[in-house]
Amino acid sequence: MSPILFWIFSALMLGFGAATILNRNPVASALSLVVSFLGLAALFFGLDANFIGVIQILVYAGAVMVLFIFIIMLLDLKAEQRRQINIPALLGGVAIVVAFTAQLVTVIRSYKAGNEPFAAITPNLPDAHNIGMTLFANYNLPFQVIGVLILVASIGVVVLSQRELK
Amino acid sequence: MNLNPIVLDLAVLALGLVLLLLEAFNEEKEKPFFGWLSIGGIAIVFVLSFFASQQIFVGSSQLAQFYKADALAIFYKRLALGTTLLVLIMALEFRPILSSYLPAARKNAGLGEFFALPVFTCLGLMWMASAADFVMIFVSLELVTISFYVLVSYMRRSSASLEAGVKYLILGALSTGFFVYGITWIFGITGQTNLLAISDALRVLAPASHTAALFGLGLLLIGLGFKIAAAPFQLWVPDVYQGAPTPITALLSVGSKAAGFVVLWRVIEPFLQTPAFAPKLQLILVGLAVLSLIYGNIAALPQSNMKRLLAYSSIAHAGYLLVAIASWKSGQAPVTFSFYLAGYFLMTLLAFLVLIVVNQSTGGDDIANFNGLGQRSPVLALGMTISMLSLAGVPFTVGFLGKFFIFFDAVKTGQWLLVGVGIVTVAAGFYYYLKVLRAMYWNVAKNPSPIVVSPLTRATIGVLIALIFVLGVYPAPVLEMLK
Repeated sequence: MSPILFWIFSALMLGFGAATILNRNPVASALSLVVSFLGLAALFFGLDANFIGVIQILVYAGAVMVLFIFIIMLLDLKAEQRRQINIPALLGGVAIVVAFTAQLVTVIRSYKAGNEPFAAITPNLPDAHNIGMTLFANYNLPFQVIGVLILVASIGVVVLSQRELK
Repeated sequence: MNLNPIVLDLAVLALGLVLLLLEAFNEEKEKPFFGWLSIGGIAIVFVLSFFASQQIFVGSSQLAQFYKADALAIFYKRLALGTTLLVLIMALEFRPILSSYLPAARKNAGLGEFFALPVFTCLGLMWMASAADFVMIFVSLELVTISFYVLVSYMRRSSASLEAGVKYLILGALSTGFFVYGITWIFGITGQTNLLAISDALRVLAPASHTAALFGLGLLLIGLGFKIAAAPFQLWVPDVYQGAPTPITALLSVGSKAAGFVVLWRVIEPFLQTPAFAPKLQLILVGLAVLSLIYGNIAALPQSNMKRLLAYSSIAHAGYLLVAIASWKSGQAPVTFSFYLAGYFLMTLLAFLVLIVVNQSTGGDDIANFNGLGQRSPVLALGMTISMLSLAGVPFTVGFLGKFFIFFDAVKTGQWLLVGVGIVTVAAGFYYYLKVLRAMYWNVAKNPSPIVVSPLTRATIGVLIALIFVLGVYPAPVLEMLK
């Protein structure tokens, strides 16, 4: 992936990610999130992770976002009220973010291996097939655990969202 | 009998599925039936766990890569099963309060899932105890966390429960984010997710990568700090503990903490064994322990709500447990903190069990609701007294012996700062634990009518009291399990 494209897509992703939080209108937030997801998907394509890129668009930008917007419309959410800004909390939050970022920058600088150029990755296609094989052959046990996890999550959704429990 | 520990996990999984299916297809069934079924099932698996023996999985099988069945794993599986068993007994007692906060179309609706979901939480805790790989740790941790998101906000008509659910969801997701980011750093540096392989990779790691590895470790500690409720990651604890249904608070404070500690130990062990990381990690552990001890014990002093008191006490106990880990040089750390957790399990669950009965008959969980309990129900008052004395660390109780082992290790390894802070905070602990005793025996109840205690609860309280004293003078059975 050419560095210029990388920077464009990263900026797109981060900019719209920030817009998701800063927008007061829920629909605008949701749509910013879609663009942010698209930027992320483009980065995956750039890394030759085509399958993940496609899934990112299909599942996140497609299904999940449609659901978000559907719910926003159904609940008829209005723009968020302007809140009183709590100065100490704001300062605390900013301090933590700055400290974390400073830490991250120092660590990345000190990490020599991070500056070395990567060996070129030969795209190992078809990657959907490879991911499937890895998941079912090498990571079968965690995969089964995820099955239980999703079962619990879906029961939870029913229990918490049913209008009246029967 | 020589049972493979994975049978225990599968039995709990089967029990959970059976409960759900029965619930779905037997609409007319009385709901307490599910409570009894889940209690019976977990009790059977708990008994079976004493026949499980350590296994070493080798080769290229899934178990060898992801699963561990050493003494520690079996011990924590047993602890998870015991906790769930007691929590389900509490849930049976808690039914009337729960029903009053559920939007139910008919009597007892929505209670079946309340007995089934803790079984799945237990399953997650048992998998956490056995996880030998970051991928496995992550998925089992998420199984536990997601079932907690549901259970904490289960009382949908109580705004406190919903608030607790949202707070737990947001902060839990944040901590998971830190944890996963930490895993990616460690994976990026070592190229491994298996803890054993990471241990090998760390030993030969180039010094240039040490800072990055420490950064990853720091992120992991933030994520795990949330799970074990250690300061400064304790912000969520009081509100979530207070708002959640009381049996779930008990599960959160014992089950989640115990599994969090065993995962914490497994994650930091490779780093402690590498001389380049050990001193720095040691410093972080001491810092976390001191903060948790001071914050938990000081903030507990002015509390007037029993659940909040137990929440701060839970932070303080995370501090004592961290002292044990910070004294790892004694070579006894897993035994010490596991024994302490076994004691913590007994005394905390005893407190919650009494709290639920009191809450149900007086309609509140403030310390004021315990006024005159000594006259209203001597059994409950005795249970609470023993629990509070043990939590404070009075001799001849398991709480004392646990603290004794921890501080013995701390002295042996020369952790004088921790010993000093520990002694001061234990003294502070006496004040707020004994406040409950004062309410029970010296204050007068508004309504002096006796409280009826069901036979099951009475028996459970009796067993817990007996165990607190037995393990307080004769700890050998638990220590034997940890060998």
